[in-house]
Amino acid sequence: MDMLLQVLVIGLLLGGIYGLVSIGLNLIFGVIRIVNFAQGELVMLGMYGAYLAYATMGLDPYIATLIVMPALFVLGVIVYRLVLQPLASESSMQIFATFALLLIFQNVVLAITRGEGYSVSSKLAGVTFGIGDIRVTMSRLAILIAVTLTAIALHFFLKRTMIGKSIRAVTQDRQAARLMGINVERTFMITFGIGSALAGLAGALLSPIYTMSPGIGGNFILAAFAVVVLGGLGSVAGAYFGGIIVGLVEALAGFYVDPELKQAIWFLIFLAVLIMRPTGLFGQVGAEEVGFREQA
Amino acid sequence: MNELATDVSVRAPPVAASAGGIASSRRVATRFALGLALALAPFLVLGGDFFWLNILTYTYLFAGLAIAWNILAGFGGQFSLGHGVFFAVGAYTTADLFIRFGLSPWFGILPGAIVSAIVGPLIFLPTFRLKGSFFAIATLAFNEVALVFANYLESITGGPRGLQVPFRAGLANMIFADARGYAILMFAFMAVALGVSVLLMRSRLGYYLLAVREDEDAARAAGISVVGVKLRATALSAALTAVGGGLFAMYVRAIDPPTLFSLADIGVKFALISLIGGIGTISGPVLGAFLIVPLESWLRALVGGTTPGLHLILLGLVMLLAALFMRRGVAGAIDALVQRWHHRHRTGQ
Repeated sequence: MDMLLQVLVIGLLLGGIYGLVSIGLNLIFGVIRIVNFAQGELVMLGMYGAYLAYATMGLDPYIATLIVMPALFVLGVIVYRLVLQPLASESSMQIFATFALLLIFQNVVLAITRGEGYSVSSKLAGVTFGIGDIRVTMSRLAILIAVTLTAIALHFFLKRTMIGKSIRAVTQDRQAARLMGINVERTFMITFGIGSALAGLAGALLSPIYTMSPGIGGNFILAAFAVVVLGGLGSVAGAYFGGIIVGLVEALAGFYVDPELKQAIWFLIFLAVLIMRPTGLFGQVGAEEVGFREQA
Repeated sequence: MNELATDVSVRAPPVAASAGGIASSRRVATRFALGLALALAPFLVLGGDFFWLNILTYTYLFAGLAIAWNILAGFGGQFSLGHGVFFAVGAYTTADLFIRFGLSPWFGILPGAIVSAIVGPLIFLPTFRLKGSFFAIATLAFNEVALVFANYLESITGGPRGLQVPFRAGLANMIFADARGYAILMFAFMAVALGVSVLLMRSRLGYYLLAVREDEDAARAAGISVVGVKLRATALSAALTAVGGGLFAMYVRAIDPPTLFSLADIGVKFALISLIGGIGTISGPVLGAFLIVPLESWLRALVGGTTPGLHLILLGLVMLLAALFMRRGVAGAIDALVQRWHHRHRTGQ
């Protein structure tokens, strides 16, 4: 029983990580429908941003989010405006372009750092505490707290603000949204910026946990896509609970089935959901019907 | 700024082959032979140089693989990112049969192709109701599941250590002491794939595929079995990809899961090559391979030693510019030039 509890706690904390890296992608994939291969690289840039703030100004990675998030928002807006918006009518070319961005981001960091692994430390992150036999580090708990707060904040942002409402309108029906006077291009640009900023937040918060390498984004991107589709496109609750479900499944499968097969198991669950309920657990029915052409 | 018009579905133009009606068999055969001769020319010029010979061998192989991918993704509009699975099935089957049973790869590539032609439609069947990027993501997941199983099923795949094919030179073993043998082999593969692609686009199935890509509902209303067409195209595409995988295994003679299921080098690369060359065209995948594969190797040799990653930064920039300024790939750009020339010619008179 104690063992099960421990596995559940591990799964929950892991789910927090998956949820955090997915929440930005969910906005981008769910609203703009771009298969953004470079999303993991945006998380990676967030990590290195936190390192830069730590190395130059001695900032704690948790405080560095205040710099990293706006920086990535600006980067996201620039990337969308210069690269992705011109390709709006060519969805498969957009995939191609995000792959090119992945190559560029990853290798620019590689060229600058020459592949040296970096890590940052935070006084706060090192704290551990235990409930019974279960030990939890602050760095992982902070992520679970952050993803919960982010999900709540994003939910209210989408429900209450004008920008949030226009993002939802564009997700549901681009043409109708345009007829209602919503600037679709600008909404997409802001959405991509927010999605990038959230990737930056994830990167900064993950920086005390991982040793950084330019290719680290690849560890998150597939999990993030799985979470997004599992949870439901454009649904904040979907990314949040989808992340936690994937984390729990991975922890349980790793413990009870075989650690080597844990990833295969959640991918199979992901495929099953995709096939039986393509909308995802929390998504709007019909969202997946929009193909490459129709959305342009 | 963009008017309402952008919201109306943007349709891809008809494939180059079908532009201006159906070309006569003779004209197609001439064009096919001319294309192959052009592709063979660099081999005749550079065949003696090992550096270029290796690049050329990969170019032919990836041209063939991109042609195979383009059958389902380009003509059929099913943007698969899971073709690495078929590639790996072909590679493992051919290598296994040769290592364990000494079966000549000339026969060994057939079982891999047949298995792929059966397994491919089976695993893709449930995903065919998904459209566009959803289909892409689902097939990407197949690639990752297969990667995990390839690492796990050590008895077949050799697990993470992979398989090594012993060097026993001989035509029957498809292992050549003279590297030119591989270039000719890969060229033949590309020629076969191109031939299949040309014939397909003149067949009933080819027209069905285009109809399904352009409008599934209209195709269904016209009496086409949409799923059946997709399944047949998958089988064809998967079988050709598996043959390419088998040839790859015999060329590099050492295969392991990270190589075979690599997205950047295998699964997504088929798509990148086809896109840069011109997706949904017959010549596009070949043009793309002749652009991307040599460029990548050349950049690596040129600047790879100076700064790590610099050659990939440059490759990424070239890809980005290609995406922005050649929306329809090299084939589309050439097509536009020809059209403009025709137009000027006609109005000039």
